[in-house]
Order: sequence, then structure tokens, then C-alpha cells
Amino acid sequence: MEPNPLAPLEHFLPQVWFFILGLFLFLYILLDGFDLGIGILSLTSSDERRRNILMTSLGNVWDANETWLVLMGGSLFGAFPLAYATILNALYLPAVIMVVGLILRAVSFEFRENANNKRVWNLAFGIGSFLAALGQGFAVGTVFEGIKVDAAGHFAGGMWDWLTWHSVLVALTLIQGYVLIGSTYLIYKTTGELQQTHYRTATIAAWTTFIGAVLITISAPLFHEHLRAQLFQPPLFYIFAAIPLLGVLLVFLLLRSLQKRQEVMPLVWTFLLFLLSFIGLGFVIFPNIIPPSVTIYEASASPSAQVFMLIFVAFLIPIMLAYNLYNYLVFRGKVVA
Amino acid sequence: MTLDSLDTVVLSRWQFALTAMFHMLWPVLTTGMSIYLVVIEGLWLKTKNLAYYHHARFWSKLYILNFGIGVASGLPMAFQFGLNWAPFSEAVGDFFGTVLGFEGTMAFMLEASFLGIMIFGWQRVPPVMHWISTICVAFGANLSTFWILTANSWLQTPAGGVFVEGKFRVQDYFQAIANPFMVKSFAHMFFATLETSLFVIGGISAWYLLQNRLPNFFTKSLKIVLVMALVIAPLQVFVGHLSAEQVYHYQPAKLAAMEALWDTVPAGTPADWSLIALPNEAAQANTFEVKIPGLLSYLLELKPKLETPILGLKEWAPGDRPHLVGLIYYSFRLMVAIGLYLAALAIATIFVWWRTGLEGDRLRHYKWLWWGWIFAGPLGYLAIEAGWIVRCVGRQPWIVYGQLRTAEAASHLPPQVVLFSLSGLVALYTIFFFAALFFGSRIIQKGPNVALPVPGLQNAEQLEIRIKLAEHQPDRRPLETQQ
Repeated sequence: MEPNPLAPLEHFLPQVWFFILGLFLFLYILLDGFDLGIGILSLTSSDERRRNILMTSLGNVWDANETWLVLMGGSLFGAFPLAYATILNALYLPAVIMVVGLILRAVSFEFRENANNKRVWNLAFGIGSFLAALGQGFAVGTVFEGIKVDAAGHFAGGMWDWLTWHSVLVALTLIQGYVLIGSTYLIYKTTGELQQTHYRTATIAAWTTFIGAVLITISAPLFHEHLRAQLFQPPLFYIFAAIPLLGVLLVFLLLRSLQKRQEVMPLVWTFLLFLLSFIGLGFVIFPNIIPPSVTIYEASASPSAQVFMLIFVAFLIPIMLAYNLYNYLVFRGKVVA
Repeated sequence: MTLDSLDTVVLSRWQFALTAMFHMLWPVLTTGMSIYLVVIEGLWLKTKNLAYYHHARFWSKLYILNFGIGVASGLPMAFQFGLNWAPFSEAVGDFFGTVLGFEGTMAFMLEASFLGIMIFGWQRVPPVMHWISTICVAFGANLSTFWILTANSWLQTPAGGVFVEGKFRVQDYFQAIANPFMVKSFAHMFFATLETSLFVIGGISAWYLLQNRLPNFFTKSLKIVLVMALVIAPLQVFVGHLSAEQVYHYQPAKLAAMEALWDTVPAGTPADWSLIALPNEAAQANTFEVKIPGLLSYLLELKPKLETPILGLKEWAPGDRPHLVGLIYYSFRLMVAIGLYLAALAIATIFVWWRTGLEGDRLRHYKWLWWGWIFAGPLGYLAIEAGWIVRCVGRQPWIVYGQLRTAEAASHLPPQVVLFSLSGLVALYTIFFFAALFFGSRIIQKGPNVALPVPGLQNAEQLEIRIKLAEHQPDRRPLETQQ
């Protein structure tokens, strides 16, 4: 047989793609996270003026933010077709909940703009954001916990496997996290009384997120054998010991900056908290892509497919980041009322 | 139908068909109109005529309404391959997934990011930068069309690799992208979105002219539409012809269904073109038919008698050829009729323009013509939906033509679960469809808001313009949200 010129890359390529998908997912959770958080917060608003500012602060960015999820979907499909098929198959119902939520959220923006009676679309906006966050939380929780597959890596579980007390816990915590980042984003984008309101919501959300994260960190290795086996091996053990410690430190810094009524720092600390949790999740999952048993190497598209896609996508990532950043720069500063 | 007899494959096909057909309605306007917006904004920059600026602002209101629903309904499309078609995703992911990944990274992100500036950034960036943003949106949207049509064309004429044990192995990516159907299919769809958008803009402009509301303002848009449509509508008829020809060469079973042709027409004889037929699949014949003698041989080969035979549906076993022959047959005819009508309308209106100059009182004498335009507004959508029905129902029973059967490509889901998602989506989409119509007509009824501030003018000038305006409507919303 002819030697395959791409053979030395067989390990490297799936790792690169794992990283790129992680990047897309992280950007999605971070950016659409504050969109969805603000959507959930809008449910608590009885004041049309406040809601107007909330939605105005998202008008120019929400669709670009949501696009990171579409990128994630498309790239997962191309780089790890097996994972795309199996994970979505297993997560059929949470994915439908999420998609319905995101649809409601998206159309509410445009319909509300033109409606005389805005109440229906206000509600659709809030509920849509909540459902999207809920579906995503269940999805993350399920992937974290593991998906039942057969020898070929195809989904072999039931339609309701995703609904466990652990995935409920993850979903609730993710919602808190979204509310937290939404609040800190609004602190950065608003002034006066509105800003004060969101210092309060941010403080509450910081505590609830923290409690959720503690519960997840404790319960995960306690109840899941495969996680326990992974977490207590020597090199990883130190990383997993460091992550909660850093997390506690970040929560402390976040709460202090909220108390000091700083404007930008709460967003920065929240951003770092998200990054830290995400890295933790990445370490738990790697090198699997369908936990607990299918690795990135097994689920990979052929090396030639991954190289071909990588050439273009690697070139495009900095460009995409640049024009997204430009968009944020154009609309920097406080939302004017 | 009882719950037990529900079939997952059938339900999954319904779900894909309905979500795709609903999704299709919205990007049509956002891809086609984006080109029109580039033109009109460019005219504003060049001539400094404020009417063009207000045109850009007015039409982008309809644009953003469509974009929101397009994004919303596009999301299920991105996930549906994995959700309902897992075996398919796994089999062809190497190529098909890559192309969808490209669509997201190259095209969709570009469009979504610059859309924010295009809609809300009028006061935040210099006019030239705004125009560049509009160009990026238009480029991104049409690049999306390119990648989606590449992916779909590959399903029609798979190339660039081989199927090994049911899994597609790519040998040459560029060959797979440049598969036999790609160029003409992309051209056909590119012109379709542009043409539909032009006739929507033209139809709405005609509605204003009919009411004698802002006639000078809306003759401007109508004239731009006319100049563009005069080129594009006839060209589209020609590209459509080329597309049918490629079906004849690569997918003879689909062509037979498009023509409801059951028996092969041998070489050396003329082929008739069927005008009306009642296909009967059980009898494998048409119970009733009106034909135009010899026309089909002219259409396909430009000759009175065929050089190569046209295969009839009976050449294939019932399991290997498309069903729903009547649907395919009439969808094709509907699309062709609409294409011809739009081209004729464009030419007729140019004639009137040449005779009257499309100005002043004489406009009112041409009510029939404006009604013709209003009627033409929704027709493009109908033609596009009909064309996709021909393309994808006609491809059956294959999901990847000749390689992978649709029935083998569906996820093994409990049918109740698919029924649940299907009915949820249908309920939502029905509401959205009517809400979009309602809000769209409200935008049209309100008309352009000529009180909007013009970027690049001093405050004194702004004020002067505002005072001059007859239809001043105070807008109390935050500046950022004013459209």
C-alpha cells in the first residue's frame, strides 16, 4: 500500500479541530450567553423603557453572536461527522427545545419592532431566551455525563436519557451563568438606575452560579465512575485541583468589583470565570468527543477532509474575529435612551 | 393514521421539506435585495440625492424583517442533518459537512456581522464605510447561496470521490465542488433571488403609484428595478432552459417525471410537449393529456426529430424512479409560466417607459400595468418553491443521486418524537408566516420615514430638511432603534 502522506497528522489534526470547535463553542456561549441572559432578565422587567434599552443593546450583535453556533454545527459536521450525527441524535429533544427557543427569540426582535401591542413579543423574547438556555444546559449536562453508544459509535440510548437530575443541575447553573454575564454586560452598557438594578441582579446571579458550580464540581466525580477514573490520575489531578481554587478566587474578585461599582471589571471577571469553566469542561471531555467512549480520533472525518477544511477555516478565523471586533467597536459605549 | 403506522422516514421527509420550504421564503429577499441596496446606496453616494438615501432606509426595513425570520428558520436547517438524517451525515460528512462549514465561516458570519452596521450604523460610521458594510452583507448572502447550491448540486450529481462501504471518500475536493450541476444551478438560484426581489420591490412601488402616493419617489425605485429586470428576467429564462437540459443529461428519470412521460420516445421521432396532463401512477399512464406536437424535441435538441431517445418513466422499476409525478409535472410548468410572465412584464413596462417616460399624470393611465406588477410580487417566491420541489422531489428515491437512498439515510428515531418536533415547528411557522405578512404590510402602509437624519450633514441642514418635510412623524424611540 502507498504510504499516506497525511499519516503523521492523524493525531494532530483531530486535536486542532477539537480546539477550533472548542473556540467556536466558547465564543458562542460567551457572546450569545449575554444575549440570552439579557433575554431572561427581560422577563423580570415591567418597564417598557428598560426593555427597550435591553433589546437595543443587542440589536446589532445578536445575529452575529448566534452565528457562532451555526459555525459550530457546520464545522462539527465536517470535522467529526460521527459526533455530529450521534450527539444530535441523542440530544434530539433538548436540541428541539433550544432551536424553538432561538427561533422565538430571533423573530421577537423584528416583530416587536413593528408591533403596536408589544406584550406578546416581549414574552416570546424572554421565554425564547429561557428555552434556548435550558436546551443548551441539558445538552452540556448530557455530553458531560456521557452518551450511550454501540460499537460503531451510533447512539444506542433512549429519547429521554438526557433528563437526569445532574443535567437539570447543569442546565440551571448555565442559566444562572447567562444571567450573570447578561447583567455584567448591561452594567457596562447602561447608566444610572438601570445600571444599579443590574449590579443587584449580577450579585445574586454570581452567588447562584457559584453554588451551582460547587454542586456540579462535587457531584460529578462522586456519582460518575468514568469521571472519577479520569480526574484522579496524576497529571490531570493537579489541573482539576487548580481550577476550583482559581474559580473561588475569580468569584471573590467578581463580587468585590460589583461591590465597588466598577463598570468594566465585572464583565472581565465573568469572562474569565466562563473561560475557566470551559477549560475545565474541555479537560474532562478530551480526548473524547462523544463521552465516555468515542475519541476524537475515532469520530474524525478523513485527514484529507480535515486538512482541506482547516486551510480555509484557519485563515478565516482571524478575519472573522477582526470584523466581529470591529462591529463591537463601532457600537461601543453606553446605549442611549 | 394511527400512531403505530407512523413512519419515521416519511415524517422526517415532511419535516425537512416543510422547514426547508419555509426557510427558503426569507433568504430570497435578503440575498436579492442586498444587491439592490448596494446599487441604491452607491447611487446616493455618487449623486448625493437624498431620495436614494431614503430608499435605502425604507427597503432595509423590509430587509431586516426578513433577515430575522431567515436566521430563525435557518437554525433548524443547520442541525437537522444530524437530528433526523444521522446515517446520511455520517456517510457524506467528509464533503457535505465541509461545505456547510464553509457556508458558515465564509459567508454567514460576514453577512451577520456587517448587518448590524448596515441597519443600525448609519450615524456611527462614515457613509463610505456604511456602503462597504452593505457590500459585505450582499457578498456574504450571495456566497451563502453559492455554498448551499454547491452542496445541493453535489447531492444531484455526486462527483470528486467514491463511495466505499456506504461512506463517501473524497478524492478531489475541487472536482466535488465543481460537480456537473453546480455552475448552472448556482446561476439559476442567484438570478432567482435577484429577480424575485426586484419584482417584490417593483410590485410594492407599483402599489404606491396606483395610490398616487409619493409617485416621484417610487418611480425611482421602479426604474432601477426595470433596468435590472430587463436584463435578468430574460436571462433567467435562458439559464432555466440550461438547467432543464442538464437534468435531461444527468437525471433522465427526473426529466421523465417533469414531462409526465411514461413511454420512451425513440430516436428519429419528434417528441411532443405536454401542456396539461393527469398522470396516473397506478396505470403508469396519463388519463388525459393535451400536447403540442414536436415542441419537446425543439426544446431539448433544437431539432424536429430526436437524435437521442428521451427515456420514459417505465424504463425504471417503480422503486427506482420518482413518485408524485403530478406534483413534479405541475410544479415545473408553474415555474416556467412564472418565468415567462415576469420576462414579458419587464419588456412590456420598458415599452411603456419608452412611450411615456413614466412621469407625471400619464402614469395613471396604466393601471393594468401596475396591477400586473402587484400581481408579480409574490410570483417569484412561488416559482422558487416550485423549482425546489422539482429538484428535490424529482431526485427521489435518492438522497444522494444513484448512491444513497433516502429511506436508508434517516435517523432511527421513534416516530412520535419526530411528529412532536414536526407539529411544533409547523405551528410556530404558521404563526410567523402570518405575522410576517402582517408586519410587512404595515411597514409598506407606513411608507418611508423621510424624517430620518441624514449622515454627513450638519445640524442646521438637518433641521432645514426636517422642517421642509410634509409627512413629519416624531419618533421617540432611541436613535439606535430608529429604522
